[in-house]
Amino acid sequence: MFGDMSLRDPYEVLGVARTATPEDIRSAYRKLAKKLHPDLNPGDSKAEDRFKEVTGAYEILSDAEKRRRFDAGEIDASGTERPQQHYYKEYAGAAGPRYQNTSGFADLAEEDDFLAELLRRREQQARRAPGADRLYQLQVDFLDAVTGATRRITLPDGNSLDVTIPPGIQDGQTLRLRGKGAPSRGDGPPGDALVEITIRPHKFFTRDGDDILIELPVTIAEAILGGKVKVPTPSGAVMLTVPKGSTTGSTLRLKGKGVARRDGSHGDELVKLKVMTPAQPDAELESFLSNWTPNYDPRRDMQP
Amino acid sequence: MIISKTEFLYRAQTDQETLQLWISEEWIAPQGPDTEPEFSEADLARAGLIRNLQQDLGVNTEGVGVILNLLDQIHSLRWALSSRLRAGETESESGT
Repeated sequence: MFGDMSLRDPYEVLGVARTATPEDIRSAYRKLAKKLHPDLNPGDSKAEDRFKEVTGAYEILSDAEKRRRFDAGEIDASGTERPQQHYYKEYAGAAGPRYQNTSGFADLAEEDDFLAELLRRREQQARRAPGADRLYQLQVDFLDAVTGATRRITLPDGNSLDVTIPPGIQDGQTLRLRGKGAPSRGDGPPGDALVEITIRPHKFFTRDGDDILIELPVTIAEAILGGKVKVPTPSGAVMLTVPKGSTTGSTLRLKGKGVARRDGSHGDELVKLKVMTPAQPDAELESFLSNWTPNYDPRRDMQP
Repeated sequence: MIISKTEFLYRAQTDQETLQLWISEEWIAPQGPDTEPEFSEADLARAGLIRNLQQDLGVNTEGVGVILNLLDQIHSLRWALSSRLRAGETESESGT
């Protein structure tokens, strides 16, 4: 926070003289940190605030260049906090039985029914805890993602996992396979397998949500005169009527030839035409065009 | 969520050898098979604490073990005490 009046002088925070040597500063910091480290004071939130202040002060004074700039008044004591660290105490309660150590009151539990019951339940809970979730990645072909498929993942332990890919799955979507994760360490149910799907690109199809996009090359004659052309779709080729007078960029819609939706309907396939001149010189076309004067200017929008 | 060994090494800013020491000292106890250990956010925070103890506070290897052991006992005691207190509250509420 800029101009925060409560920012204290780092020398004052560490309790050292302005002439303190780096060794003095380090030893002052260590002394305070031992007392104030949040993980050594799990129940004391005031200690955490003070610890932040102390590490901020040490951050300046332990760095010769920063200390010089602070002494010269070039920087103030702000903005020196370390990036937020997650202290272990935030997780200690939830870390489960792995790090639990109840030996410290085993003797008390012998005399106290409540404590004995607490420990018994904790053990039972640990035994019944489900196994961990496991994360896998699966690359699927574009068309398999559109029409659905079954794929097998081979696991590091040699087992395999059959994954049913529902039609219309999206890139980056995660499938949850219940009970296919790590086994429980006790008697609990196994965790889940989470399979993250990435979709390989296709040679000529792309996808926009439920719609399939394709750029379809056509001849000059097909564009000018119109005609029937064969267009690939994910479910096989269909005949499409190119209307007379089409041009590059004209888009035609094939209803229901897109990606399956959850409700059973389908998106569309959008066919964008691309007029292609012959790749090789064509004498017939040349002689025809030499007698033709275009009466349109394709660059009229580009006039400066 | 599970953290892989590679990600753990990166996020804990440590190396393979050091991690091996932490595991053999039982300071960090990952789940899963040895060949493919699985770490948690709690393990990562614990690694942060170990680093603080060693680098910032100058605690030596033996000292870290003693501190973690006592700290685990404190957290278990705190858990037992808070359970006890909550149970006490419920009792006195139902008693009135």
